[in-house]
Amino acid sequence: MLEFQFESIAAFVEMTPHGVYVWPIYGLGLLVIGGLTWLNARQHRQAIRMVQRNLEREESHES
Amino acid sequence: MGWRWFHQWGSPRWFYERAGRWQLVCGWLALILLVAGSLWGLGFAPVDYQQGNSYRIIYLHVPVAFLAQAMYAAMALCAVVLFVWKMKLADVAMQSIAVMGFAFTVLSLVSGAVWGKPTWGTYWVWDARLTSMLILAFLYLGAIGLRAAIQDPDQAGKACGILVLVGVVNLPIIKYSVEWWNTLHQPASLKLTEKPAMPASMWVPLLVNILGYYIAAAYLVLGSMRAIVLERERRATWVKELIGRA
Amino acid sequence: MSIEKRMLARELKLIAARPGDIFKPMWFLMLVISMVPLALAPDSDLLAEIGSAMIWVATLLALLLNTEHLFQSDFSDGVLEQWLFLDRPLAWLVGLKLIAHWLFHVLPLILITPIAGLMLSVSTEVLFALLATLFVATPALTCFSGLGAALTLGSSRSGILGVLVMMPLFVPVVILAAGVLIRATDGSDTLPLMALLGAFSVVAATLVPIAVSAAIRLNIGGSN
Repeated sequence: MLEFQFESIAAFVEMTPHGVYVWPIYGLGLLVIGGLTWLNARQHRQAIRMVQRNLEREESHES
Repeated sequence: MGWRWFHQWGSPRWFYERAGRWQLVCGWLALILLVAGSLWGLGFAPVDYQQGNSYRIIYLHVPVAFLAQAMYAAMALCAVVLFVWKMKLADVAMQSIAVMGFAFTVLSLVSGAVWGKPTWGTYWVWDARLTSMLILAFLYLGAIGLRAAIQDPDQAGKACGILVLVGVVNLPIIKYSVEWWNTLHQPASLKLTEKPAMPASMWVPLLVNILGYYIAAAYLVLGSMRAIVLERERRATWVKELIGRA
Repeated sequence: MSIEKRMLARELKLIAARPGDIFKPMWFLMLVISMVPLALAPDSDLLAEIGSAMIWVATLLALLLNTEHLFQSDFSDGVLEQWLFLDRPLAWLVGLKLIAHWLFHVLPLILITPIAGLMLSVSTEVLFALLATLFVATPALTCFSGLGAALTLGSSRSGILGVLVMMPLFVPVVILAAGVLIRATDGSDTLPLMALLGAFSVVAATLVPIAVSAAIRLNIGGSN
């Protein structure tokens, strides 16, 4: 069942004649999931920074 | 007893701490499944005798299209939880799912269009499934836009909830009407109730990827929810303690 | 005088005070229809073929633009808040408001579509079918765009957001109406599709006002 369907890696990349359609889509999928992961991480970092700023402001008020 | 598992979800702190761990597990699991499933589908699944290698796009397109629809239903479920139990976390989930669902809908539209080029000879045809997916994308956009337009987060959440509930009631009607309008598309390639027409060597990697994308979606939604929880709860003591300690 | 009669009387007074509001959507409809031959070609066969669909889409747009601010003035002068204290369910009052809106603002729009049809050389049979679909479908469309208007009440810079949010929900109505028009062009039986369209309208007219009243409550609760 698990048999590599292509003769070489070059043929795998080529995927005649449909490589130009298949590979960009998988690239796009990677880009979407990676991009959303990055956006989430950024939003998380921003939230943490906001809390930290608020804490600093409170501390400077107390002193 | 019995209801503790449910009431825990009312505590943002409990969620924030647990979700970090779940997110990590989901992330790695999704990565393994997706790498395995995609390589299997791309390199090891047999060539389709009709469509050639272009059919290999389904290992992305079908899971993503499933997700796009399932996430709208999940969003509607969150809206019910929001209105019945007034659980704020459900609103956070709704906000996250709207964005992720929109991204997956667009991905499924683009992959469907690119699959269409070698299969039908054109990127876009007004067939039933492409059309209802396009409408779905607009429905997601509506939920995102409505939330962005209303300043008060509570009010925005409830308005979105109403919109999503009305949308989910209409979605089957839209789907059937669009299908009636145009029934040119090939039949659904994988139905859970029937044995698929594909050989196992084709649908097993598809199943792996479906699972992988669902878990990836859970990973993304959890990540986004954690960020939103922190943002909304920024004045809460537990957040200050948690971040002050770090 | 009952609350219902007084509400209708008030709507009439509002229209008498600003009669221009009725004409603007009709004006818009006729302008859009005049653009079609200009953008396409003054070829009457071609126009007859797409005419009914163009009129449908133009009427839809006119109705949407017209309903966008349905609750805005009642919201800002506090009338909606008063509704909460009446001994009637809010959804019922919303329904009345929608009925009044349909009677005074949507019906005139439907009544001028035959003129638009003549301008685009739509045949008489198709014109009757067009009128019938508009009569049957516009209650549902009015309800949905009313919901869009109610959902965006709380946002000061919503623009045409209510329209954008509700438009995808019009898909079944547009498809069914187009089906009726196609069958009318062929001369085949339109009754089953008209019945479906009617059923959709009836269900929408009973259920959507409940969603609208929830949206209104939410906005009034939020402003306190």
